Amino acid sequence: MIHYLFGLRRWTDCLNALALVGVGGTLWFAFVWQIVYHDLPCPLCLLQRVAFAMVGIGLMLNVCFGSRPAHYGIAILSALAGMVSSARQVLLHIAPGDPGYGMPFLGLHFYTWALIAFFLLALYLGVLLMLDGMKQKDAADIPRSPGWLGNLGVYSFLVILLVMFVATLLECGLGPCPDDPTDYLWIPGN
Amino acid sequence: MIIVLPFLTALISAWFTWRGHRASAMGWWAITAAIYVAWCFYHMTTPLKISL
Repeated sequence: MIHYLFGLRRWTDCLNALALVGVGGTLWFAFVWQIVYHDLPCPLCLLQRVAFAMVGIGLMLNVCFGSRPAHYGIAILSALAGMVSSARQVLLHIAPGDPGYGMPFLGLHFYTWALIAFFLLALYLGVLLMLDGMKQKDAADIPRSPGWLGNLGVYSFLVILLVMFVATLLECGLGPCPDDPTDYLWIPGN
Repeated sequence: MIIVLPFLTALISAWFTWRGHRASAMGWWAITAAIYVAWCFYHMTTPLKISL
């Protein structure tokens, strides 16, 4: 079976690890876009990144400790939270003539992509929760080997969380961000 | 209102997950979620130009 190639015991472990890689990849993409195009995230955009991070924590718990309903609950609730902030931003810019916030990617703004991604994540996690044959008798508090795919997801996720923390600190400092930020608050010369 | 705060708590939660502390990780996730909700209320005050 293909999950053995990834160093994992079950195919649902493989899907959890893949989702973690996907969530980390989404955050990496948003960060690279921010740097390359100097497209600074607004407060609601930052909240959507936090929601992706919260989804990633639920997936990381599944990868590091094995699947549990509580871990899926964390990931699904986080995806719903992300849908609230992204839907709110879509509604803010939905009126005709509104140019939206930031640069579009493939015809859609990032908050619209975020809304689609959160919906798909909630759907994916719900289906995975139904199909995952969890062994409840296993000790949940004992960490286990996540396999190389899980390790890839875990380390890329940890690094992007650290990078986002530093980038947000440089952009906003220790206060609220302006609604339409144009420069980094804590970088001299800006 | 410190916008960077939920990034810090999420990082701490992920760190505890990585280090094998499940209960602490879930606790820090809950703190992150609470801050997220509070920050949403703070930022969602502009009236929408739509009728529902």
